[in-house]
Amino acid sequence: MLKRFLPVLVLPLALFGASPASASVQASEIIQRAIDGFVRPAYASLHDHAGRLAISVKALCDAPSQAALDAAHAEYSATVEAWSSAEIIGFGPIKENNRLERMLYWPDRKSIGLKQVQAALADKDPTATGPAQLAGKSVAMQGLGALEFVLYGDGAETLAGKDDPYRCAYGAAVAKNIETMAADVDAAWKAPDGFAALWANPGPDNALYRDGTEAVTELVGVFINELEMVRDVRLKGFLGAKPEADKPRLAIYWRSQNTGLSLAGNLAGIDALFEASKLGDALPEDSRWMAESIHIQLTNGVATAKSIQGPIDKVLADPAERSKLEHFALITSSLSGLIGTRLTAEFGLTAGFSSLDGD
Amino acid sequence: MVAIRTPLIDRRDFLKAAGAGFVATMAPRAWANTLSTDAVFATAFVKRDGSFGAAVLSEAGKVLHAIDLPDRGHDVTFDPVSKRSVVFARQPGTFAVVFDHTGREAPLTIASITGRHFFGHGVFSADGGLLYATENDFDNAAGVVGIYDACAKFSRIGEFPTYGVGPHELLLLGDGRTIAIANGGIETHPDYGRAELNIATMKPSYVLVDRITGDLIEKHELPPALHQLSIRHTDADSTGTIWFGGQYRGPGTDRPLLVGRATRGKDLALLDMPQDVLSGFRNYIGSVAANPAAGTVAVSSPEGNSLAVIDTAAGKVVATKALVEVCGLAPDGPGFMATTGAGDIIEGRGATRSEPDYVWDNHMLRIEAVA
Repeated sequence: MLKRFLPVLVLPLALFGASPASASVQASEIIQRAIDGFVRPAYASLHDHAGRLAISVKALCDAPSQAALDAAHAEYSATVEAWSSAEIIGFGPIKENNRLERMLYWPDRKSIGLKQVQAALADKDPTATGPAQLAGKSVAMQGLGALEFVLYGDGAETLAGKDDPYRCAYGAAVAKNIETMAADVDAAWKAPDGFAALWANPGPDNALYRDGTEAVTELVGVFINELEMVRDVRLKGFLGAKPEADKPRLAIYWRSQNTGLSLAGNLAGIDALFEASKLGDALPEDSRWMAESIHIQLTNGVATAKSIQGPIDKVLADPAERSKLEHFALITSSLSGLIGTRLTAEFGLTAGFSSLDGD
Repeated sequence: MVAIRTPLIDRRDFLKAAGAGFVATMAPRAWANTLSTDAVFATAFVKRDGSFGAAVLSEAGKVLHAIDLPDRGHDVTFDPVSKRSVVFARQPGTFAVVFDHTGREAPLTIASITGRHFFGHGVFSADGGLLYATENDFDNAAGVVGIYDACAKFSRIGEFPTYGVGPHELLLLGDGRTIAIANGGIETHPDYGRAELNIATMKPSYVLVDRITGDLIEKHELPPALHQLSIRHTDADSTGTIWFGGQYRGPGTDRPLLVGRATRGKDLALLDMPQDVLSGFRNYIGSVAANPAAGTVAVSSPEGNSLAVIDTAAGKVVATKALVEVCGLAPDGPGFMATTGAGDIIEGRGATRSEPDYVWDNHMLRIEAVA
């Protein structure tokens, strides 16, 4: 094992394990709180909602009606919200077996998923209605994006009647496959000797986190990377610099009108994780205001995103509504500065520069 | 595209700009000597105040000259004929800046054309006449090499395919005609910033392309189980063997081999490494540099805060060093100069100099005596 060379910023780093016993305990405690207070409940909630979603789609197939379709829609939206919160933890069990991409293949820039789903529906591909077989198919055919097209895309109204049993059967398989993945990830995080134990117990013999700083860097990286992802990928993927450059059809979950709910879910997850970890308590007294400011801005961002409702093209066409999206972008930028620059400086973590950039 | 031009500055202004510490320790004559006799090192940087630039460092790691950049830079390449360097924007950047090392001539900005952006790396032809840069044809998710005429203000005169997605570093091989390209395999599109769009299906490759005809000469892929190992950085050892370093996008709990060799006409060969060395990389090699005279290659990991030196003939790791945020590497005497995100510059013989105002970027280029 390499002998760790610790940076000059000794004081703050001492919090996460630069000095022996007491300090590494603190990193462990922060991570354990993050796992118990956010990660496990978030993936348990996803599992719960995905289970209900699978039941509701099956019920719709068994007895099609508008009420049953409405019920499936409600469960779909609830699952999107649960996923949007959980997905900020994009490492660990969700990274295995391409689950991250199988849960949500997005952005689908070339409409690969859409074409594959439409082809399956047109051909009534019998191998796409078995959840196990589906799990081996293209990632774009398996997740929330595929199910959204089934439940809300062109032709979805037929689900309320008996004319297109294939469409419903495929949707049921997608929902079941989502439930299976959610169950597997939930179980993997709950396992006492699984990934959670690795993350919460950094040390020289730990293959992934060799000291407290690496474990805490993973946590802080969630805030930095996910804020950037929400802003640059999710939001700016459809919100142009000017209204003429808006691309409503590229907005995530536009078909189900869950764009705002998803953006809100992302920030709600970040807020819940930050609060659960009590990372703010590790700040020096005179910097505690940062934690409060982070929480206030995240709450503000969640409220702003939740107020964005209805078809996203109408939101974009209405200056007052559109300005909410710009406000949301501003909040995430401010948070990126606060967490990515100021908070990391307090902790002596230079995350955000060369180590997290992927070049 | 914003054209970035820093005003012409003469030597007195330059000395002033270079800072009091610099003036105090180095008289103009010494500066001239530095230019004429010693190697220098070029690298991009981010300053702690958030500004961006590229710098030329002395062998002792002092900043001799710096230019401003509009955004973050990545790698630098050098034309020994016109004695100018080119720094490329970090992906998905749209500029490259040509600059001399004295500041006598204003830097020249190259803008990427519509539908393309730079990937951060480039290389000159041996005669300095043409500059080749890896670029993204993003609407088609296809890698290309843009060709620029150094004698015509770097106007873009053509391109050829990289026969893969997401090309990153490229090298001109010893024959002066073959270009080796690391296709990282990762699809990105500027509409989505740096988001990686095809992790489940990515397929990196290493290719040799004829720079005159643009024809594909060889293409090599990794075994299917390693399709998520993005081949990104390369350098050539004294025998002409190309060493490459990869970044693994699969689960963090996997521990694939990350460093390999490419020899003409043969399959890619990954290098076995001791588990503890491999663990120190956290599945991420950020830079690869050869020291042909010493018979070694160094690889660095800013994610794992470590670097390793490999004996190229024996194919064995001969040294490792733990260094926070290490990435930039260049041959220096019997060893390697290394730079870090914490502002440290570690000379080949071990002396460390700290420039806490600078976050040194991923790559460093050694440039032999230039003036």
